[in-house]
Amino acid sequence: MAVRTNFESKDEIGVFAKLTNAYCLASIGGSEIFYSTFEAELGDSIPVVHASLAGCRIIGRMCVGNRKGLLVPSSTFDQELQHLRNALPDSVKVQRIEERLSALGNVITCNDYVALVHPDLDRETEEIISDTLGVEVFRHTIAGNVLVGSYCVLNNRGALVHPNTSIVDQEELSSLLQVPLVAGTVNQGSSLVGAGVVVNDWCAFTGMDTTATELAVLESVFRLNEAEPSKIAQEMRASLIEGMS
Amino acid sequence: MSLYNFKKIAVVPTSKDFIDIILSKTQRKTPTVVHKQYKITRIRAFYMRKVKFAQQSFHDRLTQILTEFPKLDDVHPFYADLMNVLYDKDHYKLALGQTNTARHLIDNVAKDYVRLLKYGDSLYRCKQLKRAALGRMATIMKRQGSNLTYLEQVRQHLARLPSIDPYTRTIIICGFPNVGKSSFINKITRADVEVQPYAFTTKSLYVGHTDYKYLRWQVIDTPGILDHSLEERNVIEMQAVTALAHLRACVLYFMDLSEQCGHTLDEQVKLFESIKPLFANKPLIIVANKTDIVKLEELSPERRAVLKEIEEDNEISFMEMSTITDEGVMEVKIESCEKLLSFRVDQKMRSKKVDGVLNRLHVAMPKPRDNKERPPCIPENVLIKKQQEADKRKRKLARDFEVEEGDDYIVDLAKEYTDIPEDERHDILPEIWEGHNIADYIDLEIFEKLAELEKEEEIREETGMYVVPKIELDETMQEIKKLALQIRHKKAILKDEARINKQSRKPVVPRTTGAKVRDRSVQKLRKSMETLGVDMSGSTEANFTKTKQKIRSVVGGTVAKKARMDMDTNRSLSQSRAMVKPPRNEQGIKDLAMKKKLAQIAHRAISKKVGRMGLKGEADRFIGTKMPKHLFSGKRGTGKTDRR
Repeated sequence: MAVRTNFESKDEIGVFAKLTNAYCLASIGGSEIFYSTFEAELGDSIPVVHASLAGCRIIGRMCVGNRKGLLVPSSTFDQELQHLRNALPDSVKVQRIEERLSALGNVITCNDYVALVHPDLDRETEEIISDTLGVEVFRHTIAGNVLVGSYCVLNNRGALVHPNTSIVDQEELSSLLQVPLVAGTVNQGSSLVGAGVVVNDWCAFTGMDTTATELAVLESVFRLNEAEPSKIAQEMRASLIEGMS
Repeated sequence: MSLYNFKKIAVVPTSKDFIDIILSKTQRKTPTVVHKQYKITRIRAFYMRKVKFAQQSFHDRLTQILTEFPKLDDVHPFYADLMNVLYDKDHYKLALGQTNTARHLIDNVAKDYVRLLKYGDSLYRCKQLKRAALGRMATIMKRQGSNLTYLEQVRQHLARLPSIDPYTRTIIICGFPNVGKSSFINKITRADVEVQPYAFTTKSLYVGHTDYKYLRWQVIDTPGILDHSLEERNVIEMQAVTALAHLRACVLYFMDLSEQCGHTLDEQVKLFESIKPLFANKPLIIVANKTDIVKLEELSPERRAVLKEIEEDNEISFMEMSTITDEGVMEVKIESCEKLLSFRVDQKMRSKKVDGVLNRLHVAMPKPRDNKERPPCIPENVLIKKQQEADKRKRKLARDFEVEEGDDYIVDLAKEYTDIPEDERHDILPEIWEGHNIADYIDLEIFEKLAELEKEEEIREETGMYVVPKIELDETMQEIKKLALQIRHKKAILKDEARINKQSRKPVVPRTTGAKVRDRSVQKLRKSMETLGVDMSGSTEANFTKTKQKIRSVVGGTVAKKARMDMDTNRSLSQSRAMVKPPRNEQGIKDLAMKKKLAQIAHRAISKKVGRMGLKGEADRFIGTKMPKHLFSGKRGTGKTDRR
């Protein structure tokens, strides 16, 4: 299921939230509307946690995590770290890492099995990622962009990447990630898919601006409903061509 | 949103208004005071500024008109043609052209007069030059009167045109009048076009929007077209032709197999053939409407033969539909959308545009690189919830019961009373019982309260609260009691009597009756006697003329004054004294104490009324005349102004 929402009328909800299969982090805003959209959908199954990192609200871009762990940048306050350790289940390892590229959400993207990282990331960080999150780590770019976290979003069943990714790149990425992969947009043509959508294995949240076509693509590539990813290439082909050109 | 929005064109004033607007603007926004003793350069500058300002205002306003109205050569050919049909291209261009000329003329006039003003040698001359300049500008504008009114009409009509986007996915509905085009658009969109059982109900283009396959589709309803040559077509038909000619859309040609529209099948096919060139290179569907009256199979063979050629054409789909029964309506919509979609996709695939998005239509499937399983990690309770949601839908709904039982179904409100046991649930509870609303007496703790009260009562009884004490009476007391009883009886009787006596038995004059008119007079008597034939001459000193002079009016100062004046006549004195009544508030009052008491009562009654109804009372501030004339008229010198 995919839900449209926004954070204080900003549609880049991937900036203000982090969603995994074991927990959800939502930043603290002026009202609880944003938090409660997550709470309503996920509250029964996984903890939905108010969080801030280094006093910032842009937690989705600053941290990275999956079912097994959560990595936060070195600028995180001790209090915040303690809050996260208290709120998250014990099975989730929370780790603070010293990394020059401190916007971890922008430079790393992962599901429960694989991670794509920025080519210039430290070797030590890479090791910590593979230990804490329990994933295979690949250094890669997406459509020539080094910020893999901004231009790629994935769960265990599918991935969505920058709309300009060539078919060759797509095949390569798909083989690395071992999930079906589609190039697309969110929020009415925004190529910043990582910022526009948060997703786990059964649920996705996107910005309010997301069109019906984009939502349908999201739902089928992430297998949120019964539709297969192949539907995009077959049934929706005409609508996509019409809508995009 | 739309590329063409004609709703924002500013109002074009009439020539008279135009001149008024500009002249008053000039007056308002330029300096107004100049004196002849000023330096001549200053005077010249003053008037030059006025002339230049007026010219600039005219120029701006006309430029605004010229830029805001769409140029026929720039807009989409559909709109250009539509405007040609509706407003006549030549007339439109001429109007705008003349407006442009007027602008140039005004500019030239201003230039000339500014040059002349440089040589103005006195205030008077400069002023006359300015007058002449503004006058000539106004004359030029006056000549544009008819153009401006025409442009205003065009503007109003343009603003009401439907906003058709010529580039988007469009479905056009066309056909003879009265074949059901508007009914169809009403079925598939929310356009709400008027439908009437006569021809040419739809007199202009209408637009509706519908959704299909995540996309938005524009549906255009056109007025009916008749089968004659292009030159003979009227404005209404030409709008339909324009839309058909210029919009790259899917065309639905509507036919009426029942021929209830007043045109035979033969005519309908002929019209189709004659406007066929308009359908070239467009997806086309022929829709046979009104199948609720006659279906295609029910047609007689000779009429069927008319349609044969069309039916056999592979490029044209032929569909049946009825807007009354909704049969086939959705199929027609889907077919038309699909046809147009594939047509547009085909076209786009041929252009270069689509290359940029082809990579987005590709789903990259992973090649397995190891034997590791990577299953999704969905928590157990999410799956359970999903399952529950799926199960919930299997619950038998009230609607299912309704369908099952049909007309016998009755809404069972008591079904939801799960707290009440099954056998008591349907017990009937009256709403009113022996004149009492049951709901008023419902109290959940009634039995406890009752028990408590009974207990209290018991205690009281036990303590002997209700035991009547025995009173022993001695003889004198008994006597007194007897006497008291007698007195009480007597009092009651007196009271009743008084009440009976008090009631007045006199007839009461209602307030509405008018004053009694005097019915006897000397004059009247004389007249009536004369009519009866009695000679009344010489009766001036007769006895009956000596009537008593009655003093009019009852109370009031005037009477008293008059009376005082003829003090010496005894009779009138005694009479006036008799007539003078005490003031109403003193009538029937015994003494001072009573008067005081009554005044108090009256005061209380009034204040009650005033307080309750918010009326004006005695205590309210009252100013009889706001500005008494005698205090405010005339010249005022020095000295007091409050009293004269």
